[in-house]
Amino acid sequence: MTDQRTKSVMSQQRGTRRHGVRGRALLLRRLAASDLRHHVAQAVLFVVAIAAAISVLSLAFALNGVNSNPYQQTMAATNGPDVVAQSANDPYTGVTSPADLAALVALNHAKGVVAHSGPYPIVGDNGPVGAEMRSTDLDTSVQVEGREPGVAAVDQPKVTAGTWIRPGGVVIERSFAETANLHLDQTITLNGHPFRVVGFAVTSAFHGFPGTSLIWATEATARSLATKADPLSYVSNLKLSDASPRAVNAFVNAFGNGLQPKGGPVDATTPFLNPWTAVAYDDSGFLRIDQAFLFTGTVLLGLLALASVAVLVGSRLAEGTRRVGLLKSVGGTPGLVAATFLVENLFLALVAAAVGLLAGWGAAPLVSKPEADLVGAPGAPPLTLAMVTVALAVALLVSLASTLVPAIRAARMSTVGALADAPRLPRRRESLMRLSRKLPVPALFGLRLVARRPRRAVLSAASIAVAVMGLVAALAIHAAVDKKFSHFASSGGLVNPEVPRAEQVLTAITISLVILAALTAIFAAWATVLDARRASAVSLALGATPQQVRAGLAMAQVIPAVPGAILGLPLGLGLFEVAGHHLSGFPPVLWLVVAVLGTVLVVAALTSVPAWIGMRRPVAEMLQTEGA
Amino acid sequence: MQQEVVLAMLAKEPSHGYELRARLARALGPVAEGINEAQMYVTLSRLEKGGFVARLEAPTQRSDRKVYCLTPAGQERVTQWMSDVSWPRPDLAEFHMKLIAAAQGALADPISIIDAQRRDLLRRLREVGRAVMEEEKDSDAALLLEGIVLRLQADLRWLQACEMTWTKRSTPK
Amino acid sequence: MNDTPTVLVHAKGLRKDYGSGEGLVRALDSVDLDVSRGEAVTVMGPSGCGKSTLLHLIGGLDRPSAGELSVAGQRVDGLSERALAYFRRDEIGFVFQAFHLMDELTAQENVELPALLAGYSPNEARTRATELLEEVELADRARHLPSMLSGGQRQRVAIARALVNDPAIVLADEPTGNLDSAAAFQVLGLLESLRAKGLTLVIVTHDERIATTADRLISMRDGAFVDETQLTGGSRGHLGTFAEWEQLS
Repeated sequence: MTDQRTKSVMSQQRGTRRHGVRGRALLLRRLAASDLRHHVAQAVLFVVAIAAAISVLSLAFALNGVNSNPYQQTMAATNGPDVVAQSANDPYTGVTSPADLAALVALNHAKGVVAHSGPYPIVGDNGPVGAEMRSTDLDTSVQVEGREPGVAAVDQPKVTAGTWIRPGGVVIERSFAETANLHLDQTITLNGHPFRVVGFAVTSAFHGFPGTSLIWATEATARSLATKADPLSYVSNLKLSDASPRAVNAFVNAFGNGLQPKGGPVDATTPFLNPWTAVAYDDSGFLRIDQAFLFTGTVLLGLLALASVAVLVGSRLAEGTRRVGLLKSVGGTPGLVAATFLVENLFLALVAAAVGLLAGWGAAPLVSKPEADLVGAPGAPPLTLAMVTVALAVALLVSLASTLVPAIRAARMSTVGALADAPRLPRRRESLMRLSRKLPVPALFGLRLVARRPRRAVLSAASIAVAVMGLVAALAIHAAVDKKFSHFASSGGLVNPEVPRAEQVLTAITISLVILAALTAIFAAWATVLDARRASAVSLALGATPQQVRAGLAMAQVIPAVPGAILGLPLGLGLFEVAGHHLSGFPPVLWLVVAVLGTVLVVAALTSVPAWIGMRRPVAEMLQTEGA
Repeated sequence: MQQEVVLAMLAKEPSHGYELRARLARALGPVAEGINEAQMYVTLSRLEKGGFVARLEAPTQRSDRKVYCLTPAGQERVTQWMSDVSWPRPDLAEFHMKLIAAAQGALADPISIIDAQRRDLLRRLREVGRAVMEEEKDSDAALLLEGIVLRLQADLRWLQACEMTWTKRSTPK
Repeated sequence: MNDTPTVLVHAKGLRKDYGSGEGLVRALDSVDLDVSRGEAVTVMGPSGCGKSTLLHLIGGLDRPSAGELSVAGQRVDGLSERALAYFRRDEIGFVFQAFHLMDELTAQENVELPALLAGYSPNEARTRATELLEEVELADRARHLPSMLSGGQRQRVAIARALVNDPAIVLADEPTGNLDSAAAFQVLGLLESLRAKGLTLVIVTHDERIATTADRLISMRDGAFVDETQLTGGSRGHLGTFAEWEQLS
């Protein structure tokens, strides 16, 4: 009687099963949660790997439009010009004729101009030869602009230290002053004449060093510095009624010596016009270099993350076959089994995307601190929908790519096989076996361990290759920059301040690559140690010393690391060619050798730690734990 | 019913026939159902004829109320049986009774009986095992010997179980 | 091998504890054991009685918590891990219940592994392995992987492996535990022939048949010896009683 009743209850429920999505969802959630709890370290590594790539990517995005703030603030503080006009000159002698000057003056009243200052006399703006400045430790060419002691209508440079110009006293543009290591009250000579440094200032009219090496002085001083080789020129600052980029470009086209107006001849006296947009662009040059490095870094980190995550997921599948078998034997469909893998990793990918976004966004102010040629803070970078979407897409893509194959494999596994926990049986490579016999014991073990899990070895090699690739490219960039500026400095030149900070970004990326690769190597080593527990125990029982077994476990990581490191070398040099910003030159061979060898040695050192930890249990205990 | 079993039971104290049967029933459980009173009395009178037991006369007793006791000859037979390790056709009940009687009558330590028997069986197993090796595989002799080996193994396992149970009984709580 | 002492295993007051404090488990409780050269000893007992622990200690797979232990003339209880490894390599042959063969190596590669560890050249190791596989009658399966061998065959490969370095003593932990009776019989025969050649054996088993092939049978319970039966040294008289057994006479 009771049986009949129970039966009908169940058959009733059978009808509602189709709508039992909530039940399945709950099950998935529980399985994922318990799995994560048991594998915290792996989950953390998964998140770290993906988050690293995403944080660099979001940082790169965040730098877009970050610099507009300081430029605008500088423009506001100095009442900076929308257009800077410079007088035309004779193409052979460089002399500015009265007609050229008249054309410049005429612009002050052109259609659309609401305010102006100048023309001001300027020396050194015509070509490579400028006034010669000498200080205690420097000898270089500069531009000197003559100004009034009072406040100009447009573009009054903001004095950040000291005072404005006076007879015998000059004001140095701040970024140039910092680069040239000049102090207040210092005496410098210009074309042999001594002057006092009375102040530093910033302007939005010119791009700072290395675009210009600008000094403001009295008009008399400026005129006095003109030579035959470096004749005087004139510059005006114009403010327009409509300062939008389109309007400004239209003004430049209409009145300037840029693009020819349709059908009109080019007048030789037409002044050269430089819109504020061009200066702003130059001022953000450092950011663009940083962005370029960051985008490249993202790709590298992304590849590395892919390899790391693949190693992680691969080893999880090996452990989790019994769970798969259990699920299947109680009625789990292949779809459900695949879903258990995917759900977990998708959740982690989302976490990684969030962490990466926040990290990148938070780091943006650090990277985008403006150069000395501008005042003002960058302000919070925008967190756009585009950034979030891309971050999510990258995270999901990486986790899917690495999880898909194992998930499908788990779904296809036969239930019986999975229950019997017959994991991927170690493969046998005839040639490797024959080779390994002839090697000393640690190499014999190492090679055989590699042969057992070839996929993991390939992934390890790939991750080392990517890390070395980044390392070599970074070294090449460092070397090229050093070379370029070492001989630059020896001839009295100065270091572009953009360079050290670009190098900082580069170093940060390189360090991230190295750390991630190290973590992956350690994890792969740990997975190998666990995998090989039984084989290690049997070897010990047969008379291998613990040192030999440990060395073998380390060799299992070193053997794939060697080709990986060697491969990374040409890849890194190739990357340098492609993304190195027109830098050229070959890094010192010694550095490259150290990079490659050092990587292999570091891998050996790192992986000996899990090997040591794994071998600490007594042999008898290790033999009891079953495994393949 | 083996005569030695009845004798050993009397070692505890002189008893009536039906008392003996009751004790047997308690000790053997369902296995005792095949034994009836008549068989008991047949065995007792045989033992009396053999001089191993004697009847304690009480003048007006009916036969079923007679009390039997051991004679010195009977006592000696019991002692001999206690240390006897012959293992005739496997009759677990007999060995089982030997242990119980030994304990109840304080005749010997059941555990040493078990150990001694076990040792003997082990030696027999060794001999038979060797004999099997020497025979041709799948011959008639080998087949028979194989059967003996298997039974000896089974018996040894039972002896192990006996030892565990009797050890538990002897260890004070 | 002629200058090895006549007592191959000497254990005195051997003790092994696991855990500490509340969770202390005494696996072996002051065990004394002497095994002579050429003797075969079996140890029987219920699970958890410490018989496997004893075997592991003798084989240098674990260290005693107290007591002294000498095997093949060497004091073993104080050796470093490295010295123990050399000791295992040269003096001990171990046979496990679960065979513990490497799945990705062929039979002959499995057998030659201890020889390679001991520093023999690949050729020498291969020669020795082939010899031994012939002795265990598996020469035709030398190139088979363990997955292609039956349980009994795998155990025979394991026995060949245990013999490859000419050990002083062979230790077997439930060698027939995972085998059906036919395979067990074959292994039994193999162990018998090893004994006949004068090899010293210590076998842990719950199979009485294997146990009685030995010279001496030790029963253990709760980490201590409770019984010792000498099986050899008697006459072959017992067979006669079979007649009365089966009521043939």
